Amino acid sequence: MPALTPERREAIAGYLFILPTLIGFVIFIAYPLVESLRISFYDFNIWGDMTYIGTEHFERLSTDTRLHQTYRNTVVFTLFAVFLNAGIGLLLAVFLNRRMPTLMSNFYRSVFFFPILVAHTYISVIWEYLYSEDTGVFNFYLGQLGLEAVPWLRDPGWAMAAIIIMDVWKNAGFAMLVFLAGLQSISNEYYEAAQLDGASERQLFFRITIPLLSPTIFFILVIFFIGAFQVFDSIFVLTGGGPGDATRSVVMYIFQQAFQRLDFGYAAAVSWTLFLVIMAVTLVQFWGGRRWVHYE
Amino acid sequence: MQAPVELRPATATARPRRRKPVKWRDVASYTVLTIAAILVLMPLLWMFSQALQPIGEGFRLPPSWLPTRWNWDNFLKPFQAREGQYSVPFALFFGNSLKIASLTTIGQLITCSMAGYAFARLRFPGREIIFMTLLAALMVPGQVTIIPIYLMMADLGLVNTHESLILPGLVNIFGVFLMRQFFKQVPQELFDAARVDGAGQFRCFLQIALPLVGPGLATLAIITFNASWNGFFAALIFLTDDNLMTLPQGIALLTGRMSGGDPSVVMAAVVWAILPVLFVFIVAQRWIIEALTRSGLKG
Repeated sequence: MPALTPERREAIAGYLFILPTLIGFVIFIAYPLVESLRISFYDFNIWGDMTYIGTEHFERLSTDTRLHQTYRNTVVFTLFAVFLNAGIGLLLAVFLNRRMPTLMSNFYRSVFFFPILVAHTYISVIWEYLYSEDTGVFNFYLGQLGLEAVPWLRDPGWAMAAIIIMDVWKNAGFAMLVFLAGLQSISNEYYEAAQLDGASERQLFFRITIPLLSPTIFFILVIFFIGAFQVFDSIFVLTGGGPGDATRSVVMYIFQQAFQRLDFGYAAAVSWTLFLVIMAVTLVQFWGGRRWVHYE
Repeated sequence: MQAPVELRPATATARPRRRKPVKWRDVASYTVLTIAAILVLMPLLWMFSQALQPIGEGFRLPPSWLPTRWNWDNFLKPFQAREGQYSVPFALFFGNSLKIASLTTIGQLITCSMAGYAFARLRFPGREIIFMTLLAALMVPGQVTIIPIYLMMADLGLVNTHESLILPGLVNIFGVFLMRQFFKQVPQELFDAARVDGAGQFRCFLQIALPLVGPGLATLAIITFNASWNGFFAALIFLTDDNLMTLPQGIALLTGRMSGGDPSVVMAAVVWAILPVLFVFIVAQRWIIEALTRSGLKG
């Protein structure tokens, strides 16, 4: 057997090393992605037999008012969740970045960080009790303040608010951590130079901090958008999508169509719209980011 | 991580002639941070004190934020299977989640470190194109692929088995990316020296590279284990048998059955489920924070 050159050995080793990941990629990502587009053109009966129906599912997308409702819900949730998480995260990070004893800053950081690690499911189970209309903690305190009980999970508007509040409670700490890391990487020289020129604190913030923090802000917006647009766990447990469809997200709708109604073809078509929206917004954000993000 | 302490003082010390920095800014920031911290802690404290309330008393208003009564027995209640419709196999949930999360983590450590090593250190035709293709796949949301994966699992008879959760979990593009970054930092001289001694590719990987990327492996292990431990969506789809369910799934779906949904028992179950997370948090907090902020991955 002729000896292999070192280059060939290295190449063979390379292919062997990536083989497990490559096989997994083909079976669990590439093939299912193409396959989900393919089955969008088929109708499934309850025994799982497939019939080709052309673009019928895609035509249904434009007339399905429930789908439109779930898209509206998802957009509302996403807008509030992204901006509240980013805004509150930034506020906390700026305060936490001030000079303070290490013990204190570690304490705050730990507290804000912990909810990130806890599953949405458990948090929703806890908050479901807190939101309870008659025996819940929130309404008890509102009552103490002389306010009327809020129908947290029964009223469409309040139910959405309840989900958003809980999401901010859980995720703002993540934004805070990332912002804090960003703030700490800004060189102090900028602040010193600006202060010599007599800049006010407000000017320091808007003329130095924000522009130099823009890559981090941009990163947070993208990450939170992608996460929020796929919201599922918290809504599933807290409201189950209700009342009615008032809080049902697109992913919940896909779940319902596919795994409760066994309408796999239509669910696959809906899932592709989700994919395209996420991809489009991500690309737009990257493109837009180039115009206002300031990289050092 | 210690940088901030040095960063701040400039405001106060750079220009001593200016008025002393106003104190109320400190007051304001402490006030906001403390209020925020209390708001974050309250639901968790409520969970804990509720878990210690006597069974059957349900909700006590005004709520007690700090535990006043210490019914530690409550923590055994979720495990005590009762007859009939009230039985919840809580111990099985625990074991199932532990099994799935452990196997997924071990599997990912193997696949991701191998691929990460190859992309970082080995030269082979098509390497960059393959790597970029994998990265692009990060944009594909799991909800798009889950339906064909489900149909595939159904064909293979794997629905309602733990394999249906573990197998797709073995590939993690983000993990490959993470490990690649760590392997890139290993100095080339070490490999050259080993090659001179006649070490093969596999020995270079196993005996030289792997021991040097311990922090990378630990980071990946923590992120993967936590994600798997908390995972809900896939479990909800693939597992329908009570005895096979995972912890988040079991707790979310069967709260009503835990002693008739008694909040004390349900909260005790949630405390159990959060316990491993709390443990990891205490042991490796700084580390995870760094990994999370660098990677942009959230739970």
